Amino acid sequence: MFDRDIWQEIFHTLRNNKLRTFLTGFSVGWAIFILVMLLASVNGMQNGFTNQFNDDATNSIFIRPGTTAKAYAGFEAGRRIQFKNDDVEYIRRSFPDDIEYLSARYYSRTSARYKSETGSYPIQAVHPEFQMIEKTIVINGRYFNEADLTNKSKVAVIGRKVAEDLFKKEDPVGKFVEFNGSLFRIVGVFIDEGDDNAERRIYAPIGTFQRIYGNTNNISAIALTYNPSYDLPKALEFSRRLEDIMKRRHKISPEDQAGINVWNYAEAFNDISSFSAVLNTISIGVGFLILIAGIVGIGNIMVFTIKERTKEIGVRKALGAMPKQIINLVLLESTFITTLSGFIGLIFAWIILSLIGPNINTPAFSNPSVSLSTVITATIILIVAGVLAGLIPAIKAANVKPIVALSDK
Amino acid sequence: MIEIKDLHKSYKMGSNSLHVLKGINFTAEAGELVAIMGSSGSGKSTLLNILGMLDGADSGEYILDGVPIKDLTETKAAQYRNKFLGFVFQSFNLINYKSALENVALPLYYQKVARKERQEKALNYLDRVGLKEWATHLPSELSGGQKQRVAIARAMAAEPKVLLADEPTGALDSTTSYEVMDLIQKINDEGNTILVVTHEEDIAHMCKRIVHLKDGVIVEDKKIKQVRAEQYV
Repeated sequence: MFDRDIWQEIFHTLRNNKLRTFLTGFSVGWAIFILVMLLASVNGMQNGFTNQFNDDATNSIFIRPGTTAKAYAGFEAGRRIQFKNDDVEYIRRSFPDDIEYLSARYYSRTSARYKSETGSYPIQAVHPEFQMIEKTIVINGRYFNEADLTNKSKVAVIGRKVAEDLFKKEDPVGKFVEFNGSLFRIVGVFIDEGDDNAERRIYAPIGTFQRIYGNTNNISAIALTYNPSYDLPKALEFSRRLEDIMKRRHKISPEDQAGINVWNYAEAFNDISSFSAVLNTISIGVGFLILIAGIVGIGNIMVFTIKERTKEIGVRKALGAMPKQIINLVLLESTFITTLSGFIGLIFAWIILSLIGPNINTPAFSNPSVSLSTVITATIILIVAGVLAGLIPAIKAANVKPIVALSDK
Repeated sequence: MIEIKDLHKSYKMGSNSLHVLKGINFTAEAGELVAIMGSSGSGKSTLLNILGMLDGADSGEYILDGVPIKDLTETKAAQYRNKFLGFVFQSFNLINYKSALENVALPLYYQKVARKERQEKALNYLDRVGLKEWATHLPSELSGGQKQRVAIARAMAAEPKVLLADEPTGALDSTTSYEVMDLIQKINDEGNTILVVTHEEDIAHMCKRIVHLKDGVIVEDKKIKQVRAEQYV
């Protein structure tokens, strides 16, 4: 394989047939180029989807109350379901092993004033654990904690945009802001990757807010994350159990889809994963079909080359070349063309991707790129393809009878 | 050196079978220079192909340097050809993109001789056929006679037991033919066994023995007084 004479011969043949070599090589290079671009596009779509989801924990479940659509247990249809604080405690008690983090959500809107700056923002009153569920990143200060919750402290964590609006260049942490007339101390500032609107939000401890505004036990929704070790079937089974128990508690018919809504991220995530897996398979399939066309092209050219060199092969055999040496020569040549041109296609695709890939960042399509494993796989495919392309011509060459080859004088 | 007993060979031509060799018996001692003569269709080329292991016989025995040649696989035939035989063809059959030196070195390559030694040996043989200065030239840059001399050097480079020449002068004018025969005679003088297939009387008489083939049998086998080619060069 690393025989200088063989390589000399291969280079010689290629040099003498530049156009032929180029055209054959092009078909394989092009095929690999398309394959890599297709895979990168699927990867880009996947990235786009993942970006949309990754500001929440992927093992999260959101429970929202609705309005019943069926009469059940003596209640008429059309009843509004209202969650209360003890629903959260009930869930916590019912599923001690299944739940990782659990939080109530109380949605409201508040006006905010600091010095002369004012604004109106959505506010969510939640448990401290909500930070983990929403994957909130605090860049300055801290999130509120259990102590704030039990003391019903008037503290709040504000989004970066809120901080910019109200405080301009000032450090908001430790300052007091007036929310609907009551003073709250800002304990932290958070950011949210990819979503500016989420940074116009304020978080406050649930108890504090419920007491100040309406002195209520009502909550708007419940968010939780389940045990991260759960796989999809287990997660789905858990959300079913959760739905059952909540429906029973609120006297909703088990068949009623509207009374309560349990939304499991894993399910949606799984749908998208299988969607992009299908896309991936399709693009690999299409790429392969194109590659096969390239391989057939190389095989075709090699058969032609062998025909042209029949006499030469006959001479070599008369001089003592063994069949396997002839096979070697042909296989090495086809593998060399395939691998080299494939690499050129690969590098070309890679250059284009690294130039434009990072600049593409839309919700559905983001940073298309290929992984190292794709590159390695493509290389192996190329070498195999080269061997396959050369196989039939090589066997043909090895079967050349010296007498036949030499007789056409 | 060569021993052939009752050799038969026929070719299938569709439904007909063409009996080309009909029981050839022939021996050649080491150091002989034998001309095999015959008109076209006499079977002389078929005989040479069988001797050269380029083709197999249907029946009969072939013993080369004490080794029975039978049931050859492609690989075995290639090894025997490389070890025992040197070929010289009418149309030279040099590889046109290799220099004279590389052509001569080719059988040594298949003998797995190291590159450096190969080059030295090949150059040495080119020198012996008087073409040392032409070592780096491609066949297309050589005259017919020079090409055949390169081919002879190539055949000799592997140091074969027997040199088989199929119409070595067939494509050459008479002066060049005599030059080539002179070279063949000199190689024979060194003790090499050589078989020359030819249909030219004058070339045949430059050998030491003439075997006449007709319709697949040997009709005449005589020793002759060798005409030296040197005097015509």
